[in-house]
Amino acid sequence: MKLDRYLDILTKSIWVFNCNSGSCNGCDIEIVATITPRYDIERFGMKLVGTPRHADALLVTGPVTKYMTERLKRIYAQIPDPKVVIAIGNCANSGDVFYKSYNLDGPVDNVIPVDVYVHGCPPRPEAIIEGAAKAVLKLEKMKEELQKAGAPQ
Amino acid sequence: MTCRPEYVKESSDPKEVVACIEERFGEDVQNLELREYKGGLEDAVQYHLLWLKVSRERFLELVDALREFDFLHFQIISGNDDGDVVTLNYHVALFREAGKGKRLGACVSVEVPKTDLVMPSLWERIPGVEYSEREMREMLGIDFDGLPNKALVFLPEDWNEDIKPWRRDETGPSEADVRELS
Amino acid sequence: MAVGAGKTYKVPIGPVHVGLKEPITAWLDVDGERIVDATIRPGAIHRGIEFMARERNPIQVIYLAERICGICSFTHIECFVRAVEDAAGISVPKRAQYIRTIVLELERIHSHVLWAGVACYTFGYDSAFNLGMILREKVMDVLEVLTGNRVNYGTGTIGGVRRDITPKVEKVLRDMITFYKNEFDLFYNVATDDPITMARMRNVGVLSPEDAVKYCALGPTVRGSGHRVDLRWSQPYEAYGELDVQPVVPQDLTGEVYGDVYDRFLVRVLEVYQSLEIIEKCLDDLPEGDLMWEPNLPKLLNYLKRADGTGVSSIEGPRGDDTHVVKLTGGEENVTWWKVRAPTYANGVSWPIMFRNNDLADAPLIINSVDPCISCMERMLVTEKKTGSKQVVTRAELLNRCREKTRKVMGA
Repeated sequence: MKLDRYLDILTKSIWVFNCNSGSCNGCDIEIVATITPRYDIERFGMKLVGTPRHADALLVTGPVTKYMTERLKRIYAQIPDPKVVIAIGNCANSGDVFYKSYNLDGPVDNVIPVDVYVHGCPPRPEAIIEGAAKAVLKLEKMKEELQKAGAPQ
Repeated sequence: MTCRPEYVKESSDPKEVVACIEERFGEDVQNLELREYKGGLEDAVQYHLLWLKVSRERFLELVDALREFDFLHFQIISGNDDGDVVTLNYHVALFREAGKGKRLGACVSVEVPKTDLVMPSLWERIPGVEYSEREMREMLGIDFDGLPNKALVFLPEDWNEDIKPWRRDETGPSEADVRELS
Repeated sequence: MAVGAGKTYKVPIGPVHVGLKEPITAWLDVDGERIVDATIRPGAIHRGIEFMARERNPIQVIYLAERICGICSFTHIECFVRAVEDAAGISVPKRAQYIRTIVLELERIHSHVLWAGVACYTFGYDSAFNLGMILREKVMDVLEVLTGNRVNYGTGTIGGVRRDITPKVEKVLRDMITFYKNEFDLFYNVATDDPITMARMRNVGVLSPEDAVKYCALGPTVRGSGHRVDLRWSQPYEAYGELDVQPVVPQDLTGEVYGDVYDRFLVRVLEVYQSLEIIEKCLDDLPEGDLMWEPNLPKLLNYLKRADGTGVSSIEGPRGDDTHVVKLTGGEENVTWWKVRAPTYANGVSWPIMFRNNDLADAPLIINSVDPCISCMERMLVTEKKTGSKQVVTRAELLNRCREKTRKVMGA
């Protein structure tokens, strides 16, 4: 992996917005545990922001309930390009135990396009950090392509 | 009627409560049962629960009779679709603040015929029943007489109100409404 | 926003917002900075769990039950399993009862420390938040050694528990108790002796004792208003019959009851000390014996298939009483119906009461004080009715307002 080349393009660390679309909160607690001093994703510069308009990555948890489908799509539309979507937990990947219901609209990739899948119920904070690292690499590629297509620096 | 505004500190014996109910209601109360629960190292009796079934006409009277002992704490209404009736179980509790092992929980069952799905509401006596009664309304289709706010509580706004998720007959969700995720 | 006579604005909060078990939408009627009234609309996390249980046998429903909530997952397993044992007439061996009690108390500690940290974060005390999170990692380590996972441990089963407390686990547990006795005092003093904390939380979000009774509040919410209500005392289950557990109320420590956020904070912090004592006593008295009523799974399923009856159980979770009702029918393998009443369901009815006459800046703190789970606060839309203009206020700004008030209190 040519690290120098990638770090040239990386102008700032990615900022993350968390959206809970109907989960049991287990994955959300592990996300909060990731920013606390033991696992500390903040040493890489990543932080939880309060609005999607400042974010680079979207963390989604939970199988999407019918109430949250519209809102999830709106949040996705409000994040400026280039963006990554990370689906955290088994519920967001495939529905987990909730596989047949009258009020669920499917796993997250039925609603918005997903880039990184992190498995686990809930995934350990180390797994979330690995997922975030893969998202950084993917974001670099996206930024590179945008620059080649003529976007300003 | 005498109703306590807060929890009593001294409880009555569960058998006294049972005797009072049997005396006042006689035939209209069926399946009266006082269950004991054991546990711990010596397998001692830890607490009691009261189970009974009452007819719909005398339901409010029974609630008021129980409220004379203590402020009736309401927990939840559970229910099921049983063919031509809908059974509702009201889970309530007495003597919450009275002493170790003195709490008396009760389960009051009422059968509501499907031809006339109306029940009197407990909202004026116990305002905490609001969410439960709204939930029973949207899930089983029972109307509560006297409940001011009858909006949907758990289902989304664009839900088709003719489909009642817990019913097992033609008003329940059909195969098309239930989606398999994976 | 101008403060005018008779002008109230409807401020929507949610659905995805801080400190809530379900992403809930709330509309606050605001006059200037004072909240006049509030309407709550739940329903964003309704997954149809009780409907899904109709196609599963009781053992499969255990894994569905623990994913109702990630913070009190063992509480839901315990409650469901006790309801099935009530319906089917199964008795639990003594060692399993004590192990269940220990795991329940460990979960209570982890939930209360998490809540205390998040409450401090809400009004700006970031260092207390980080300190609380470091302390909480100790409990997560113990839970991982005992059950195998940090969250959603599938330890309970119908008729007992699945994992034993071996001498290695016991040593880790006792180390944790010693650690907490030394270190938790620091957090307690930092959070309660601080005058800013007291100024920020006193007389905010008051729930009077009469209202707490009328609206059927539960757990630390009703204990913070002065009532001695605790299911571990008034309806003891598992090992609590032999332990002397008294309800923790604020008047035992401070002498007066206000029913505000500070009282609920105090109740939860004191309950952590109570839980440590309970765990120590259970470890000392742990009896020998089997772990399960029937270790052979097909035999257990066969027995449950023939069982018939309705069972109900209520236990004291970290947030209040949790109630499960189960009906089993003879001859059918699947559960006939199942009803869950989680404690936030009942506590949510008393939110509009607590919101009245408080500042808008206190809204996140009041939502948090009833202890829903973690989520994040989304954007707020402030509309001015007369001109129809809209102004979007983000979560960062709402949280900032909460912290600005703290700075004003400090500076003034």
